Amino acid sequence: MVMGVEQQRRKPYLVLAPFVAVALLASACGGGDGAAGGGAGGGAGKEAPIRATLNAAGATFPNAFYEVAIAGYKQVQPGVTVNYAATGSGTGRQRLQDGVVDFAGSDGLVAAADVPKYKGEFVYIPTVAAPITVSYNLSGVSDLTLDADTIAKVFSRQIKTWNDPAITALNPGKNLPATAITVAHRSDGSGTTENFTKYLVAAAPNSWSLKSGSTVEWPADTQAGNGNQGVAQIVKSTAGGVGYVDLSDAKASGLQFAKVRNRSGNAVLPTVEAASAALAGVTINDDLSYNPLNADGADAYPITAPTWILVYKNQTDQAKGAAIKSFLRYVLGDAQKQAKAVDYASLPSGLQQKALAKVDSIVVPA
Amino acid sequence: MSTTTLLSRNLSRSRRFKNRVATAGVWLSVVVAAVPLLFVIAYLVQKGAEVVDWDFLTQDIPIISRLPGPGMGPAVLGTLLITGAATAMAVPLGVLAAVYLNEYGKKRRLANFVRFLSDVMAGVPSIVMGLFIYTVWVLNFGQSGFAGALALGCLMLPIVIRSAETALQLVPNELREASAALGARTSRTTLTVVIPAALSGLVSGALLAVARAAGETAPLLFTIGTVTAANPDLFDGANTALSTQIFKNATQPFEAPIQRAWGAALTLILLVFILTAVARLAARRFTLRS
Amino acid sequence: MCIGCGLLVLVILALIAVTMTRKAWPALSHDGLRFFTSQRWAPNVEAFGSLAFVYGTLVTAVIALALAVPVSVGIALYLSDLAPRRLRGPVGSLVDLLAAVPSVVYGLWGVIVLAPWLSGVYDRISDVTSPIPILSTLFAGPSKGRGLFTAGIILALMITPIVTSITKEVFDTVPRAQKEAAYALGATRWEMIRAAIFPHSRAGMVGAVMLGLGRAMGETIAAALVIGSSPQITANLFRSGDSMAAVIANQFGEAGGLHASALIALGVELFALTIIVNVIARAIVGRRLRRA
Repeated sequence: MVMGVEQQRRKPYLVLAPFVAVALLASACGGGDGAAGGGAGGGAGKEAPIRATLNAAGATFPNAFYEVAIAGYKQVQPGVTVNYAATGSGTGRQRLQDGVVDFAGSDGLVAAADVPKYKGEFVYIPTVAAPITVSYNLSGVSDLTLDADTIAKVFSRQIKTWNDPAITALNPGKNLPATAITVAHRSDGSGTTENFTKYLVAAAPNSWSLKSGSTVEWPADTQAGNGNQGVAQIVKSTAGGVGYVDLSDAKASGLQFAKVRNRSGNAVLPTVEAASAALAGVTINDDLSYNPLNADGADAYPITAPTWILVYKNQTDQAKGAAIKSFLRYVLGDAQKQAKAVDYASLPSGLQQKALAKVDSIVVPA
Repeated sequence: MSTTTLLSRNLSRSRRFKNRVATAGVWLSVVVAAVPLLFVIAYLVQKGAEVVDWDFLTQDIPIISRLPGPGMGPAVLGTLLITGAATAMAVPLGVLAAVYLNEYGKKRRLANFVRFLSDVMAGVPSIVMGLFIYTVWVLNFGQSGFAGALALGCLMLPIVIRSAETALQLVPNELREASAALGARTSRTTLTVVIPAALSGLVSGALLAVARAAGETAPLLFTIGTVTAANPDLFDGANTALSTQIFKNATQPFEAPIQRAWGAALTLILLVFILTAVARLAARRFTLRS
Repeated sequence: MCIGCGLLVLVILALIAVTMTRKAWPALSHDGLRFFTSQRWAPNVEAFGSLAFVYGTLVTAVIALALAVPVSVGIALYLSDLAPRRLRGPVGSLVDLLAAVPSVVYGLWGVIVLAPWLSGVYDRISDVTSPIPILSTLFAGPSKGRGLFTAGIILALMITPIVTSITKEVFDTVPRAQKEAAYALGATRWEMIRAAIFPHSRAGMVGAVMLGLGRAMGETIAAALVIGSSPQITANLFRSGDSMAAVIANQFGEAGGLHASALIALGVELFALTIIVNVIARAIVGRRLRRA
């Protein structure tokens, strides 16, 4: 009898249960992608419409280009949603390793010791490259020229004023003030720092002792800013400031860039064309890794940074695999034409063809 | 004769002085807190007010961030869903834990241990919470709004527990004793007498926790991914929130994303503040008066 | 059931401790004790020493508490006793608004507005304190505004709502009879506060301060933006420093392998530090209460 009373009291809650279940099921089924299939986008007649959501994470360096590519790709395949989270190359690779994302963006290569930790074989797809500027703030001085040794000494605080003999030697005829140099670098770990320091290790081994990495032991009397934007902000607001900023952010912040002497001895401005010149002469390995830093070439800008997309060779999901291949083909195809507008250098055609071949080699289940 | 005149006649100079200094100190502390807040709000309004309109609150996030235009719709939805889910998990659990600490456990060793642990949990960095949920949930079930809600819930729990316990202590013991005298067990007393009496304090504490959770970025970075189109499904697929969008956009060198970032910040503050005001009003209406 | 909820905290914490320590193990076994005693943090050569970050965490937390606790207690007193009825609502809303501001906004406002302004203020202060012996080391210039003290200020802003809110609740628990008794004996308002409110509220205030301390030690993004990110142990509070939570936030995005493991080890260390600080605080308060 006591049981009966308790059962009666419990009933009202049981009545709610099916409604809750239905609500949960409805929300689970409801989360689909926007537009119904149908390739209404221009010029994509060859490809069948795909419906998939791709999650990606990785480098912030190529983010502006990937945004343009994703927006353009949405016109081609409206049923595919690509979400790229610019959290950093390290987390991007880690999430690909853990299988949490479908592809990763990375400014650097995976360390040999980490390769076995991945869920299977993966491939590198190069996408774009861009120059890293050495931006400075010196009123009345335009067209500053620097070389690798000088840059190394400035950033390691061996040179402390702008009228140091090493700098004036590179800039004959310019009136350089005795302003103190304020060095700005990244407070957060960064692929840009890694490529910048790798360049200094390669091009100025005798002047640069801080080695390379996503963070290095900057001298205590330097300034740290968060992101490219943070460094640009410090340079912009400090007379005598100097820092390394990627071209896109440096241009947007209105900074002045120094010309950098390349291997052939020419002083080159950081432009998209100069970055392309750097890419033109590099050796490309079989896995499509390459190093454009301190490249040969009369017009090459020596601090040109590469970036890749990492993706598993053997895809397990049909729709996602097809979407990945289709997206990558777009990135290596039509999107390359839009790279220049956002200050990135498109791949030279030889590398582009090899990359497309690599995309074709990705295996998608039928 | 007024109290103050009486007092001032009989007080020594040093006592009067100390009293004046203390009163001035109290007023000063209110000013010290108000001034920076006013500056922050003024900066926010100046940077973001013109961007916030209905389109901003409902339209998708532009894929190319440097382009001007609305909106932050997916982030607003994400914040509401994720913070709502986190609150739905943390507040009941936290209040129940506080009930245990104040009504059952009191000064016993286990209760003291739980109090101690709760304070320790308050000190776990938000980024470690995010990493923790990444390791135990996201690796197995993928990124989702729910994973973010779990991380935020863990952040909220110690705040709810500590403030709820304080609110429960506020309830005079006479009420409990009266209820016990009528033959009610502790559970019944708690449910029907103590909690209604402590309601405004419980709500205060919950709101503190909600405000914290709504504004946190780091735990969400590892757990929800990012989207540009609204995702109403909490359990499936990546999501986004106002707090993560603020950080992402405010650190760009272009005017358009910076404006959207501050507009999002303004939206978030207004959301939390309105929720706080509404909840306090409701609590005042329903709280049991002694 | 209620015990279950209380024990949930234990379960979650234990899980955090276990999973994070497992991930941190590679770095801890690589560096051993040096991880805790060395100042040098150089991920690119795989040298991981956390001492500079521990220093930064503790210093910024102490500064934050030193600034926030008096202000919070003042506001709490105001709300529970001094405020005229009309002003209680608005000031309460002020505190709610302080809590509603997202932490990332505090950090961004700090680095964009506060730090540049403070740079000038710091220079002026250092001019004033340069002849005074101890203060001249603590407050030396010149400074760009981003540093330990600025981080302390931002953290203080962030923990004020929590400490105020809970302290106010605690002050409200003081029985009216005790307050009236103090007044009846001829106490001024301040003496009433010292005699009736503070003794009664000691344990509760400690709880509020512990929560605030926890938040100050664990605050990630806001601290990362204004602390200057220069890991060094310096007595000069206006100088740049770094804290454990800030460096994890800053470097985790690009970290892989051993570096990521070392950052998680920092998180575990922060966790342990919070436990130690809580134990010490409880011991001090416990002794005081027993003596009273």
